Amino acid sequence: MAMHFIFSDKVMLLFDFWSVHSPAGMALSVLVVLLLAVLYEGIKVGKAKLLYHTLVNLHRPASQELILAREQDSVDTDSLSVSRMTFRWFLCHFGQSLVHVIQVVIGYFIMLAVMSYNAWIFLGVVLGSAVGYYLVYPLLGKV
Amino acid sequence: MEHSHHKGKSYMDNSNSTMPPSHHHPTTSASHSHGGGDGNMKMMPMTFYFGFKNVELLFSGLVINTAGEMAGAFVAVFLLAMFYEGLKIAREGLLRKSQVSIRYNSMPVPGPNGTILMETHKTVGQQMLSFPHLLQTVLHIIQVVISYFLMLIFMTYNGYLCIAVAAGAGTGYFLFSWKKAVVVDITEHCH
Repeated sequence: MAMHFIFSDKVMLLFDFWSVHSPAGMALSVLVVLLLAVLYEGIKVGKAKLLYHTLVNLHRPASQELILAREQDSVDTDSLSVSRMTFRWFLCHFGQSLVHVIQVVIGYFIMLAVMSYNAWIFLGVVLGSAVGYYLVYPLLGKV
Repeated sequence: MEHSHHKGKSYMDNSNSTMPPSHHHPTTSASHSHGGGDGNMKMMPMTFYFGFKNVELLFSGLVINTAGEMAGAFVAVFLLAMFYEGLKIAREGLLRKSQVSIRYNSMPVPGPNGTILMETHKTVGQQMLSFPHLLQTVLHIIQVVISYFLMLIFMTYNGYLCIAVAAGAGTGYFLFSWKKAVVVDITEHCH
């Protein structure tokens, strides 16, 4: 394995079937890697927004529903609404964990792609991260 | 010694023929090649594969040869990834608890209609020589080392070990992040 960056048309990326030998194939691979980096930045912000929505929607209304149920003086709806809220929160948290796994795996795939030491792929990753950050981080401020 | 040479040679014959034999170590090396120091005749895989024969893991001498050893390595890597996620959350919690000094900076800012408004900035920080900051530094070193170990494990391109890293990260996040307060950590690069 060469330990320095090379500008080359030939590379083997990640899987046995992904071997590139031509400029067209290299251009396509760079595009795929660029989109992967954009997706990675998007997932980072997506996870943050998911967490924000979970915290806002599933923690405050829980107490409000409890107060309402107690006023109506029925014990059954009280426990049912709490268990439903807990189940919804559990589902949200499970979904977030799946998104986290996808983020970890994509992060490592991008690292392995850069490890091929192909200069075009590296530039694709850097450009993809820049484009991804530019497109997606303003959405963090907006609700 | 002949036995180790024979094993090395047969592995080379079965190895992936797509790799160019650019760094082809001679199998008949010097008589004092004892298998511990320079016995590394493997070529590094550059694509994902599923296997458990002759998988070198992080340290020389830590070689997986059987399915049982691979299962053990799977569990160990899984627990390491879980511990890494837990360490991240624990550091966040410790940082929140230890932030005691709060400084308020007020400065006059021109407002609409020619009025002058006071804008106040609140900064929280730690003292440099305090115990919480030293503890955070030690935990940071441990976190960096573990994250690089996980990266190197993923770099073995072994399918079982990569799945162990991903599953451990997911399980660790699921078990430890239910109390998460910081919404996004933009300093995360690899993951």
